Amino acid sequence: MREQEKVNILMVDDQPGKLLTYEAILNELGENLIKARSGKEALDHLLRTDIAVVLMDVSMPELDGFQLADMIRQHPRFQKIAIIFISAVHLTDLDRLNAYQRGAVDYISVPVVPELLRAKVRVFADLHRKTQQLETLNRDLRSLSARLLAMQDEERRRIARDLHDSIGPLIAALSMNNGMLAQQTKKLGPDVADVLQQNNQLVEQLSKDIRTISHLLHPPLLDEIGLLPAIKMFAEGFAERSSVKVDVELSPEIGRLPPHVEISVFRVVQECLTNVYRHSGSKTASIKIAPSQDKQLTVQVRDEGKGMPRTNGVPSSPGSNHGVGLRGMRERLRELGGTLEIKSSENGTTVIAAVPVTKPMVKNI
Amino acid sequence: MRTRFLIVDDSELVRKSLRTVLQANPDWEICGEAADGETALKLFRELHPNVVILDFQMPGINGIETARRMSEVAPAVPIVLFTQHASPDLERHAREAGVRSVVSKTNAFPMVGMIEALLGPAESEPAAEGSADSGKGHAG
Repeated sequence: MREQEKVNILMVDDQPGKLLTYEAILNELGENLIKARSGKEALDHLLRTDIAVVLMDVSMPELDGFQLADMIRQHPRFQKIAIIFISAVHLTDLDRLNAYQRGAVDYISVPVVPELLRAKVRVFADLHRKTQQLETLNRDLRSLSARLLAMQDEERRRIARDLHDSIGPLIAALSMNNGMLAQQTKKLGPDVADVLQQNNQLVEQLSKDIRTISHLLHPPLLDEIGLLPAIKMFAEGFAERSSVKVDVELSPEIGRLPPHVEISVFRVVQECLTNVYRHSGSKTASIKIAPSQDKQLTVQVRDEGKGMPRTNGVPSSPGSNHGVGLRGMRERLRELGGTLEIKSSENGTTVIAAVPVTKPMVKNI
Repeated sequence: MRTRFLIVDDSELVRKSLRTVLQANPDWEICGEAADGETALKLFRELHPNVVILDFQMPGINGIETARRMSEVAPAVPIVLFTQHASPDLERHAREAGVRSVVSKTNAFPMVGMIEALLGPAESEPAAEGSADSGKGHAG
């Protein structure tokens, strides 16, 4: 029982008898077999159908097998198609080399051994099917990851809102009541006044802690007055907490952007600064956000730290958290149709995110 | 003549505390209360308060937008933004919208002194332009 989808196998030969032979041999595979009598006919099929394997004769009139292979490979969509040559002539090593250089995966000489041909085609048909399955899974995973990021943002926004709506007023009321009492200190004994003073400090510390948690979860200014004030406020808080000096350069002409763009850009900056603090050892960081061209925003975060470790020449994550962060940034930007570039050396790291924006940027705060 | 306050906050608890703090001064009275910006604008036009104490984050239009619209109606009336999110940048936006002072909810001690400064020596008169900075206070 096959539960998997059939793939298309294209057989190209100018001799109908050979095509019938290949068909008889490959029928057992249960895939879709497509016949083409010429190179031109084969190209027509390729343009219309998703082909897994091309089985082709080398010697054909007009367009021979090698020329056809060249044409197929020129098209980006066809670069991964498995091409198997079959030839009764052209059997030198040079001919074979020629075929492999054109991207062939095999070169079979006549007479064909049916079992061998079938086995070889089966391998590439299965490979194609698995590739397709992987691509589908990848798409599903990306879509799931985007949904998870969006849900995480929404959940953080909800918790921050709850903190603001429930605990915020309690702290404000406590603070005001303490203020009232503080005006009456003359009526209190020195010990009581001292306790009141301590309470004031506790309330202030409590409110500061809750405010930090709430702001890290979701920046309140982001929804109300936009990305740039929210980033400035976050950078100020970050500098205070981390002792990393942060320079912020934001183009004032950037107005309000769609909410999903604003939260994504904010999270990218937040993740970058967190990495600067946790991993770079840098004492400084700079954030620059500016329109780089029409309908595109460039976000640049730079530090002067020790740089990121490299795997195969590419900056990579020093720890699992960092890695998830980088991947999260990439996924966020991919969802927006944007890109992420990382330049890292022993003198520091620069992360550059490019984000397309659908409307020309107009100030509207 | 007593100074009349309009207090705007979506939390009943905060409004209650504000009432207690403000009414401790016998020359001050609460002329109206609102839990959102739209209602506040309506009361502002009807009641002609001398001072407005305004929350920032509320359902509907936020405090800055509410202040902007109030300033268009009566720019001389001092508006104090009373917020959990006080920061220099928010303060800049608030001032552009006509807010005279920003007070942090997490450190409300300077509130009374700031309002007295805004009102100037003659408490019942609306604050003159230029006295706005005297009571500046944000908790960062």
